[in-house]
Amino acid sequence: MKLPTVQFTKEQELFRQEVRTFLQEELQKGSFQTKCDSWLSGSDPGFSKLIAEQGWIGLTWPKEYGGAERSSIDRYILTEEFLAIGAPVAAHWFADRQTGPLLMRFGTEVQKNFFLPKIIKGECFFAIGLSEPNSGSDLASVRTKAEKVEGGWIVNGAKTWTSNAQDAHYMVTLVRTEPLKEKKHQGLSQLIINLESEGVTITPIHYLTGEHHFNDVFFDNVFVPDEMVVGTLGNGWTQGLAELAFERSGPERILSTFPLLNEAMEELKRQQNIEGLAQASKLVAELWSLRNLSIGVAKVLEEGGEVSVPAALVKSVGTKFEQKIPEVVRLLLDVYPHLKADRALDRFLAESTLHAPGFTIRGGTSEVLYGIIAKGVLAG
Amino acid sequence: MSEMKDMIVDVVERMFKEKVEKETVDLLEAGKWGEDVWQLLLENEIEKVAIKEEQGGAGGDYEDLFHLYRLVGKYAVPIPFIEHTLANLILENSNIQPRSELSTIHIAAKPLDIMEGKATGSLKHVPWARYAEKLVTLGAEQGKESLILIDLKDATIENHTNLAAEPRDHIKFTDANILVSYPLTEQQREFFAKLQTVVTVSKMVGAIDRAFELAVQFSKEREQFGRPIHRFQLVQQHLAILAGEQALSAAALENIIALLVEGDVNDEVAFARLKLDDASRIVATSAHQVHAAIGVTHEHRLHHYTRRLWAWRDEDFHEKYWKKELANKWIHSTNTLWEELTKKKHVEHS
Repeated sequence: MKLPTVQFTKEQELFRQEVRTFLQEELQKGSFQTKCDSWLSGSDPGFSKLIAEQGWIGLTWPKEYGGAERSSIDRYILTEEFLAIGAPVAAHWFADRQTGPLLMRFGTEVQKNFFLPKIIKGECFFAIGLSEPNSGSDLASVRTKAEKVEGGWIVNGAKTWTSNAQDAHYMVTLVRTEPLKEKKHQGLSQLIINLESEGVTITPIHYLTGEHHFNDVFFDNVFVPDEMVVGTLGNGWTQGLAELAFERSGPERILSTFPLLNEAMEELKRQQNIEGLAQASKLVAELWSLRNLSIGVAKVLEEGGEVSVPAALVKSVGTKFEQKIPEVVRLLLDVYPHLKADRALDRFLAESTLHAPGFTIRGGTSEVLYGIIAKGVLAG
Repeated sequence: MSEMKDMIVDVVERMFKEKVEKETVDLLEAGKWGEDVWQLLLENEIEKVAIKEEQGGAGGDYEDLFHLYRLVGKYAVPIPFIEHTLANLILENSNIQPRSELSTIHIAAKPLDIMEGKATGSLKHVPWARYAEKLVTLGAEQGKESLILIDLKDATIENHTNLAAEPRDHIKFTDANILVSYPLTEQQREFFAKLQTVVTVSKMVGAIDRAFELAVQFSKEREQFGRPIHRFQLVQQHLAILAGEQALSAAALENIIALLVEGDVNDEVAFARLKLDDASRIVATSAHQVHAAIGVTHEHRLHHYTRRLWAWRDEDFHEKYWKKELANKWIHSTNTLWEELTKKKHVEHS
């Protein structure tokens, strides 16, 4: 498939500058500390509120809900700047990336009017409930079930690996609203569950660094009113798939370890290490190539095109690249990785190394993606 | 963008599809070349595509030409189309009248010595020199570089080839006449290096297009253990890797062409060239692995593309050249990497 090339306009370049200046000022003020993989590990509701005040949550959404109706390329730029400086954007991340677009496509007017303005104000965070203890890559085998009762549904089951559920107010949850039949993709629906409801228990799963990003979320007879069903009952699988292209092709599949590369280049320059810079140029070239592809997909997405295969491509190659950065950097410079190191380079290297295994797992393992790509290639 | 682009590219692709058989590409191994295909292109004036109309050309643009180069790579066409048209493009850029007789170019080399208007020196691996009449190359007189046009009649030529059996001859001049010379600024020299590199990237992307296509096709046709091999997940993984590298390579090419057309191309050419080095290796490896034993025979056409990729990656302005260029530039830069990658284009000019 041929993707378009995108040249940024003057207005877009000015917007990038505006975002960068703001973030640099906040960094200097100490509002945050640069981190690798900050879109997963950096949840800071206060910082998200600050971003909301700039009008930068729901940037592309309609004005009637409080959005700025800007282009998806503007949003791409904004996201790149967050990641390049390693800002703590995890709190509002999933609502901004997935829930908003989902509701705009499938939500009722009531849902849109209730949730979108709150998300935009940085007052309402979402988690995405997909994986379960026995459903990982085989996502359609989910067993969390919702049974019809007067005025709503009673949900029982459990979700796992749910990023940031500890700070989220709601969760878009994939549940089975009809008993499991032969075709397991059928009978699934998306429900918005208020995480403060009675019967919801959230317990942390500590990442291998010891930090708390993931959760187990248990549902014990949780009541969900009818008006919290998203889209069509039984259509949850198709609706969920539509979200995945947004989830897989963005700059967060390329830039999770970028602060490390940026810092390594600065260090090589300080050392006047020409050989090291020459070797690092290979990483820069890879990054440039991936960016072209990722921005091209963003453009097609904006125009409503079908990009599930190229989005899977971006994620499978991009996340491998994210993993490669620490492996190359550690051989170019004298380093001693530690999460609490004083030197930024050592800290970024520790964060990158320890977070790297997750890159090719979250949002669809590389193996699942290869299957999707191969299928697309063979059909084409 | 030229409106003619799609049309020209379609027409030429049809010509190549029809006329460039496996046997045509194999002619090179026997010391012959695709003269019939070359004649066909001349009859249709395809070689004049990027030359301005007032210079006797067909008035297309860079974009057309680079897409044709991609096709030359995709069909491994054994003719000096790229060399002839690039020589003319560079002559035109140096205010020298393009040539209609077969010409070739070699600018990634040490300049010939110029003394009192005569050129002396030797050049290795000059593409298609044995068939060409004129050569565009560099000359230097007391440290000042020029682009020169020189007659290959005045050269002694020793036939040689690259890894893919394409003509890459060693030639020697002693006090040879210089037909035209054009003093080069540092900026022009850099621009020509970039132009030559976009050309190399174009044909490499073409060869990748084809190696990928062949692998997909083969995985559907070949059966083992009672089913087509594309049904095996480990084979699918190769196809996915090939698809990724093809998409990245194609996007790199399209992006540098777009920048070149806008006259705003910078480090991106180096990035594209570095990426293509990796892509060539990965594609050649996976395409051969999918084809297994048949793919390493001379009988199968896969080697037309993989051998070209292996040959081209070490020719002209290669990975080592661009890595050095980038490192030398960055070492003096006060911009961070992110600032370099997102440099403003519009605001600075306003």
